[in-house]
Amino acid sequence: MVDFLLNLLPHLLNGVALGLLFALLSLGFMLIIGVMEVINLAHGSLFALGAYFAVMLMGQDGGIPLAFMQSYYELPAVPRYIIALIVAPALVAVVGMGLEICLRRTYGKDPLYGLLLTFGAALVLEEVIREIWGPAEYFLPLPKAIRGGFFFGDMIYSNYRIFAAVFAMAMIGLLWAFLNRTPYGAVIKAGAHDSEMVRVLGYNLSRLRLYVFAFGAALAAIAGIIMAPIWGVRPHVGVDAVIPAFVVIVLGGVGSFWGAVSAGLLVGMVVALTAAFLTEWSLLSMYLLLLVVVTFRSRGFAGKASALEA
Amino acid sequence: MSSKITRRSMLRGTALATAGVAGGGAAFLGPWKHNRVYAAGTDKPIKIGLTHDASGQFANSGQAEKRGTIMAIEEANAKGGVLGRKVEYVWMDTETTPQTGTRVAERLITRENVHFMVGAIQSGTANAISQVAQKYGCVYFNTNSSSPTESGKNCHRVKFVWDGSGENFSRAAAKNAIDAFGKKWMFLYNDYVWGQNTNKATKTVATKYGASTVDEVAIPVGTRDFSAILLKIQQQKPDVVAAAVGGDDFKVMRKQVSDMGLDNKPAWLNNQQDWPDVYGLGAEAAFGVFGTTWYHLLDLPGVKEFVARYQARYPTTRIAVPGNVTYNGYVAMRELLRVVEETGGTDNTKIIKALEGRQMSAADRMQTHGAVIDPNSHHVQQTVYLARGNKNPKDKTDYFEILTAADPESVRASADAVCKLESFADTPSYDQG
Amino acid sequence: MNSKSIRNLFTAPMLVSFLVFGTMPFWIDAIGLYQYLGLEVMIWVIFALAVNLLLGYTGLPSFGHGAFLGIGAYAFGLTQFNIAANLWVSLFGAVAATAVLGGLVAAFISHRRGIYFALMTIACAQIFFFIASKWTDVTGGEDGLLNIQRLPLDLGLAEISIKSNFNLYYLCFAAYVIIVVGMWRLVNSPFGKIITAIKQNDSRVAFLGYNVWLYKWIIFTLSCAISGLAGALFAMAQEGAYINIMSLQWSGIVILIVLIGGGFISFWGPVLGVIFYFLARDILGAYTEAWLLWFGLIFMLMVMFKPEGLAGIWQDAQLMFGRRKEAPQACPEPNHAGGD
Repeated sequence: MVDFLLNLLPHLLNGVALGLLFALLSLGFMLIIGVMEVINLAHGSLFALGAYFAVMLMGQDGGIPLAFMQSYYELPAVPRYIIALIVAPALVAVVGMGLEICLRRTYGKDPLYGLLLTFGAALVLEEVIREIWGPAEYFLPLPKAIRGGFFFGDMIYSNYRIFAAVFAMAMIGLLWAFLNRTPYGAVIKAGAHDSEMVRVLGYNLSRLRLYVFAFGAALAAIAGIIMAPIWGVRPHVGVDAVIPAFVVIVLGGVGSFWGAVSAGLLVGMVVALTAAFLTEWSLLSMYLLLLVVVTFRSRGFAGKASALEA
Repeated sequence: MSSKITRRSMLRGTALATAGVAGGGAAFLGPWKHNRVYAAGTDKPIKIGLTHDASGQFANSGQAEKRGTIMAIEEANAKGGVLGRKVEYVWMDTETTPQTGTRVAERLITRENVHFMVGAIQSGTANAISQVAQKYGCVYFNTNSSSPTESGKNCHRVKFVWDGSGENFSRAAAKNAIDAFGKKWMFLYNDYVWGQNTNKATKTVATKYGASTVDEVAIPVGTRDFSAILLKIQQQKPDVVAAAVGGDDFKVMRKQVSDMGLDNKPAWLNNQQDWPDVYGLGAEAAFGVFGTTWYHLLDLPGVKEFVARYQARYPTTRIAVPGNVTYNGYVAMRELLRVVEETGGTDNTKIIKALEGRQMSAADRMQTHGAVIDPNSHHVQQTVYLARGNKNPKDKTDYFEILTAADPESVRASADAVCKLESFADTPSYDQG
Repeated sequence: MNSKSIRNLFTAPMLVSFLVFGTMPFWIDAIGLYQYLGLEVMIWVIFALAVNLLLGYTGLPSFGHGAFLGIGAYAFGLTQFNIAANLWVSLFGAVAATAVLGGLVAAFISHRRGIYFALMTIACAQIFFFIASKWTDVTGGEDGLLNIQRLPLDLGLAEISIKSNFNLYYLCFAAYVIIVVGMWRLVNSPFGKIITAIKQNDSRVAFLGYNVWLYKWIIFTLSCAISGLAGALFAMAQEGAYINIMSLQWSGIVILIVLIGGGFISFWGPVLGVIFYFLARDILGAYTEAWLLWFGLIFMLMVMFKPEGLAGIWQDAQLMFGRRKEAPQACPEPNHAGGD
């Protein structure tokens, strides 16, 4: 029994780390679905685009072959990595704005149209990535400080995983603080529940939506950059991101921040434990969990009524 | 010269098809097993349908083998063509999707009237193409799909398989690994056909040489997180981890293994590493011991020249040196054109008979040992190299350190014995003239 | 049967479609295409019609319908190999298997609406995909279930070989005729009125005393059964059953096809969509490797500016040329799905 618990412990910790990553993966998706009631199927493509922009900004293989960039690439890895973490999401946010402008024509119609438009956008973005970067795999170089492994008892665990989990926690905290402790957050949350209210408060609703979508796209890109060293960077990597994000949001319930975060943690734990003890079923477990939970709780853990159910 | 399908060639195809209708309507109503002969002019180009993936999971490898097949075609044309005829190609993207493979094969045969078809990475797509090819009798080369079932259970009279199979690689690797690393083995495999078969083969060979199984783990296809499995490996403490994990799953696993610094202890036995999957990621991406059929820094006659020709032909390609996938495409296409020259035409029966049991010299194939096309399975029996990541690279493309060169007989796959080729009588005759 | 009921049974667009599809093998080569493409178009038309029964008529977006096409194909092959190598038995096997599995899924999801319904279909489709991929002894996994025969068509008096693409095409065409006639009857029946009412407002339908759950269950199961038939025909066309068709990507593409054609406003939307998709693929694919890029862009523009799809454009054109003597909508539910 003691042996079993000792064996279990690293898997539990791994499950928490994985769960944080699943939550991070879903933040941008959650924001857009929660505030705008748009199911953004291009989430995965924006995620991939973030990773590609970061590769471009880190240099080495995949850098921009321009003279002035070469001196930039000579900077140490840490500042370059920090710049990539800021600039790549900003670039993706611009792409997201373009997408939101296209989306405007679907507002007020069946939410299915928004979903379909973003599905089309996902096809387009993936092909664009293929055209620009080709089908081959890229990798995102990392600063030395967050590479390699460390000993935990007599087992090695990845430094980067710890960094990624802490980073995810920080992002979750920052996003929560932004939504709940700043006036902007209040407006966004008002937009989620009552667009009339936003107008009364004197804000321009269409601009608010533009910014929210851009923000969601940037969050997708950040997740893409963080996941890149774990999953690799290839044109269809976005598909790997969008499905778990979906599962997490539905489990957590549309429109609920802590619902999504706790669903992310639960999915991470379930996947990590099945991978450890019932590996064959580790992929299926996520869907079975979803099926069971949604059968008994139709709006997930903490979902609110939403136009998406119509 | 040749092209992707252009408007012009579509129109030409139309003209041909209409001619076929005018010539008796047999193309519509007749029995499907009939001899397709539209023209017999000797100056008519020899037309080859290329079925290389440009999208989907194996887009990168598909494009790599396309570079090889096109090189072989261009070299033949530079020498004055085959039988004095120009060699043309029509390429269509098979999208790593069987249903697209079926449609592309139908189109290449019934509309483009190709003489032969060449190209494959994924076994499902290769099977879809080869079923259509067999139905019409069109000779088809599977250049790079290494599922043991390709030249075993799912072999065909018209299909020839040019890559080593997963079983070849495990045979080459297993004995060496026991001697070098130890007897406690853990098996990881992707839970689909290629992984299951390859794992079975590895396990059988390893057990025969005295390995004991610590654990055997089936990994679902599409797994993107290996952290729990890597922890499990550390808990079980095997000497050797034999992994048959493929495609994107392998790429992801490789990243996560190297991220945790587990690439040296325990010893990893990876089945095969295709060059397009490794290139650009550095020598550390080539982790563990693995098999390959060719390497661009082999110290053999002709290799340097081949690499130079590749670089001259593809100066801007991201993959700066050819690897096993391009190589397989190149040698397969070259052999096909030679056989056409030798048999004096494009008649499928003659071509198939000339290929069955065909000996190919080591020097000619730029490998250590000679190769032969097994007449009973149509599987090319060739040298299998064992390699590992290179710690002392000669240049920045020198990722592999070649450990051994196993001769074809010693790694012969038992899966090939299952193969039952259709009889010649059951294979429609096919000659596009 | 009086003339009115005949008019109800067959409509002008229906007869046009019979004429076009009925003669297709005779001119498809002449326009630079090939027999197999026609075969595939016919099968996808049947599949898309089945999807639209849910999406366009009942307002239930199933994002995992590719799974049922795949199950139909596997079931056809497995019946043929293990039960009886007879066309009718195998077709029945395919339809029955998809109906049973579809009914099972429907039992889980029929109390859902909108996006939660869509998500549940995705989860179920992923489970089917996973099982098909893993269970290689039965499905052949990613090698595919191979050597499925195009079994002879036994009509009692005569036995017709459907080994050629030409003959198989006419079997598919026959299936198309039966399905179109039957489906048209269905959507114009009282049952059809109820499912379209469910699309507009299911709580009102429930309030009127109808068992909404049961209606949804029936229509989902029926749609799955028809998809299974399409899958069986597809298995014969390909002479094999492959797993890729069950992936989410293909389920998404069939939705895209249905909508680009105008499935929301017209019975014929899915037919137009399939023709458009396969032609675009062949023609764009001839010019560019990145044909999906252009197709995706066309699709985005369509959603933005003409969400009623090709059928919508057709109606506009009719209006413009003043030919709107009688109601041109083939669909009994003229207004497209508005937000509520």
